[in-house]
Amino acid sequence: MLALAGTGLLPCELNAAEPKLLPPEQAFRFAARALDDHTLEARFTIAAGYYLYRDKLKFAVADSVIANPLLPPGKVKTDEFFGRVETYRGAVVVKLPLGAPITGRTLVLAADSQGCADAGVCYPPTQQKVTLELPEAGRGPGKLVDANPAKKNWFN
Amino acid sequence: MTRSSVVKWIVIASAAILALAAGSYFGVRTLQSKPAATRPATGLLGTTLPDAEGRQQRIEQWRGKVVVINFWATWCAPCREEMPLFVRVQHELGERGLQFVGIAVDQVEKVKPFARELGLNYPILIGGYGAMELSRALGNTVMALPFTVIIDRQGNIAYEQLGVVKPETLRRTLETLL
Repeated sequence: MLALAGTGLLPCELNAAEPKLLPPEQAFRFAARALDDHTLEARFTIAAGYYLYRDKLKFAVADSVIANPLLPPGKVKTDEFFGRVETYRGAVVVKLPLGAPITGRTLVLAADSQGCADAGVCYPPTQQKVTLELPEAGRGPGKLVDANPAKKNWFN
Repeated sequence: MTRSSVVKWIVIASAAILALAAGSYFGVRTLQSKPAATRPATGLLGTTLPDAEGRQQRIEQWRGKVVVINFWATWCAPCREEMPLFVRVQHELGERGLQFVGIAVDQVEKVKPFARELGLNYPILIGGYGAMELSRALGNTVMALPFTVIIDRQGNIAYEQLGVVKPETLRRTLETLL
């Protein structure tokens, strides 16, 4: 009887919509630019239905962690295990003051992030990188560089 | 066509478009939940991972039971939310040959206090981030958590689920396999 009931319900599950979960680098698109010769700007564009944890955002240049990222306040939620946590949705822009002077004009900015989908899954911490050109002192911002430029996709 | 019938048409068309959009929106939120086309779980069964005490455990040791392998992590809120259900079901069905095994994509020092707090009554193996690759080989292509597979008594993968397992689906599936 139980076996029959189980089999009877299977076709419904087989017909369930396939998941459309995005890979983390698409759910949490990372881009950055140099604002001037000692400040970078990191941006995450977060797909609808996804969120990032504020305290999991880490930035590093050449393996040296940026000590004082200007993280905007997030939306506070209470997690039964971690207590008070802040999350970002939509878009987040973080100013990154460079501590030590950078040798050369090119640098690699690495961003670690971790987030989840409202659909009820979480992604492991993910690292994305961009290579930026620092402008000369007194010159304006450099161009925004996408970590994972959108690829042409017939299904988009 | 009169003006009012044009308006009526626009209203009907908008309603239809909204309904379609809502359908696809909720469709997108549906997670993968499927009775897997039965295939041997050879790679998974042959996997050896340390438990929280550092002892090497081979998954093969539970062959012959119905084994629920749950990939999870302490940093994954939906994972933690469903684990009390697993504790209850292990308690209820353990004697009939059910074995839950958690594979933590995590560090042992984070797993231990959590396992104590939750009173986990089934083994947790420490997979680290390498366990994500193991789950990918089992069908977790987006590599997110939680991810759960059920292995039948013959060592075949009978079911897989990305995202939280629905209690009724879990119980129904286990009843057919036990």
